Amino acid sequence: MTELKSYTLAILASLWVVVVAGLAILQPSALDVSTVTTILQFSTILGLVSLGQGVVILCGGAGIDLSVGGIASLTSVVAMQAAEAGMPLPLLPVICIVVGAGLGTFNGLLVTRLGLLPLIATLGTFYVYSGAAVATTGGAVLSGVPSYFIVWGRGVVSGLPLPFLTLTLPLFLLTAILLRFTAWGRWIYALGFNERSARLVGIPVDRVRLIAYGASGAFAGSAALVGLAWLGSARPNIGQNLELTSLTAALLGGIGIMGGRGGVIGILAAVLLLVTLQTGLLQLNVNSIWQVGIIGALLIIVLLADNLRFIRRST
Amino acid sequence: MTRPLIEARDISKRFGALQALADVDLDIREGEVLALVGDNGAGKSTLVKILSGAHAPSGGDLVMDGKPVEFASPQDSAAAGIATIFQELALSENLSIAENVFLGRELTQRVLGIPFLRHKAMKRRVGELLKELDAHISDPEVPVGSLSGGQRQAVAISRALNLNARLVIMDEPTAALAVAETRKVLQLIRNLADSGRAVILVSHNMHDVFEVGDRIAVFRRGRKIADKMRTETTPEEIVSFITGAHPDVRALEMQS
Ligand SMILES: Nc1ncnc2c1ncn2[C@@H]1O[C@H](COP(=O)(O)OP(=O)(O)OP(=O)(O)O)[C@@H](O)[C@H]1O
Ligand SMILES: [Mg+2]
Repeated sequence: MTELKSYTLAILASLWVVVVAGLAILQPSALDVSTVTTILQFSTILGLVSLGQGVVILCGGAGIDLSVGGIASLTSVVAMQAAEAGMPLPLLPVICIVVGAGLGTFNGLLVTRLGLLPLIATLGTFYVYSGAAVATTGGAVLSGVPSYFIVWGRGVVSGLPLPFLTLTLPLFLLTAILLRFTAWGRWIYALGFNERSARLVGIPVDRVRLIAYGASGAFAGSAALVGLAWLGSARPNIGQNLELTSLTAALLGGIGIMGGRGGVIGILAAVLLLVTLQTGLLQLNVNSIWQVGIIGALLIIVLLADNLRFIRRST
Repeated sequence: MTRPLIEARDISKRFGALQALADVDLDIREGEVLALVGDNGAGKSTLVKILSGAHAPSGGDLVMDGKPVEFASPQDSAAAGIATIFQELALSENLSIAENVFLGRELTQRVLGIPFLRHKAMKRRVGELLKELDAHISDPEVPVGSLSGGQRQAVAISRALNLNARLVIMDEPTAALAVAETRKVLQLIRNLADSGRAVILVSHNMHDVFEVGDRIAVFRRGRKIADKMRTETTPEEIVSFITGAHPDVRALEMQS
């Protein structure tokens, strides 16, 4: 596993160097501290959501969370509506995380209790959550985020955005530590890879999966919080496209789609690579349709490289 | 005779319309190797899974130390001192040997309620167990996916030994093994029984069964049709029970 991670990280790091070098040649003016800040700002939300996505996939059982974007959108809308209805504003972080965790837990119940296929269950809740976010607001932006949150949301310390430093990075490190050094982490790898044997040794498979979906929701809820504090308002479409981008980041970061394989630091590296690539293409005025295509091609190339490595090792 | 460690009484198991086990009575004694034999699909693994808490019986009772017990999960059974090496081995190939031996029962140290692994202690213990087994595995950190069949069996047996179980159940432990590795496992089974544990061995190999078994129970179509001390029977007789050629079996099957 450690071997796999270092291999993934090496690929991602060299790709990143290629992207940055390409940008340096084609558009030298883009290499600037402010570009670093922008990249990290966009990585903050995508990182949080991809972390949850990665943990859900790691837990196996065809696990996937297509509703992460819907959760982020609905959570930010619900939080601001609660504020309008009189909830004390300092409670915004709490309600974001609680609502996100609740929506994620609902996914988990559909999967573990009702036995729905995760792809179908979370596709359904994706439509329900993102639809509800638009329906309850009529698509309008809800303003009124207090300024002290915006200070945090837009704050930068020596080029590094505060939400990235105080939320995304610590959550990645914490998750990495839990996966690597605790019994819970071993259980996740065991049940993600071989559910039957995990059940035979007495690991509470369904409970762990339920918690994983709940955690993914909580991470998406905290992404909603970052969105509120950054934009100063709740946008019912804040989570748009997050489901597919987070899936791409998780797979690019070395999480095996069948579960039980990979680590979360790879996901963070993949998020940084993806956002750097997107930002670079934007700076070069590449048409956004091409941007999407390039990211898709990147995903296929990295997965192919991964497959080749397995084929080589097993022969 | 002393009281059995476990008595299975009237155990049955249905899978839908299929009667996998019917009214099985079986005594399991400490210090004794009990061999379960029978054709494919006779119900041996099903009985093993009931004893290990992986299946609930459809009918009948388990009595342990004279008291009725119910195993709702593999953890219940393990807590009662039953260690099972399943036919499918139940190992996680992506985890290391040490992690597999302790999976689900890790040695941990709680910090703020979080169970941090005691890596070194587990590694040391697994090193001892593998040495005891003479398993020829030098590094407990190797992923199980890279091991041979015999080595995997040794890992599964280490898991059982580590539980310090009163009953060790092995479902076809030698099926995938070469001659030398089979000898080692049989010796180990003998040692387990001699140290006072009860051992159940499921096997299709008459040679193994007669070498190490003290008592032999034959299953056929979900029923126990014979239960003999090794000294009172022969491989030929056991085989005739298994195939249904034995006159007793014929008489029995004519009735029903
Ligand atoms: N989970 C299950 N669901 C449905 N049927 C099952 C299940 N497990 C076992 N069976 C059926 O129960 C019967 C007994 O199976 P069991 O695995 O106990 O046989 P066995 O004696 O261990 O055979 P083998 O020597 O091939 O391992 C078989 O007909 C089998 O198909
Ligand atoms: Mg069997």
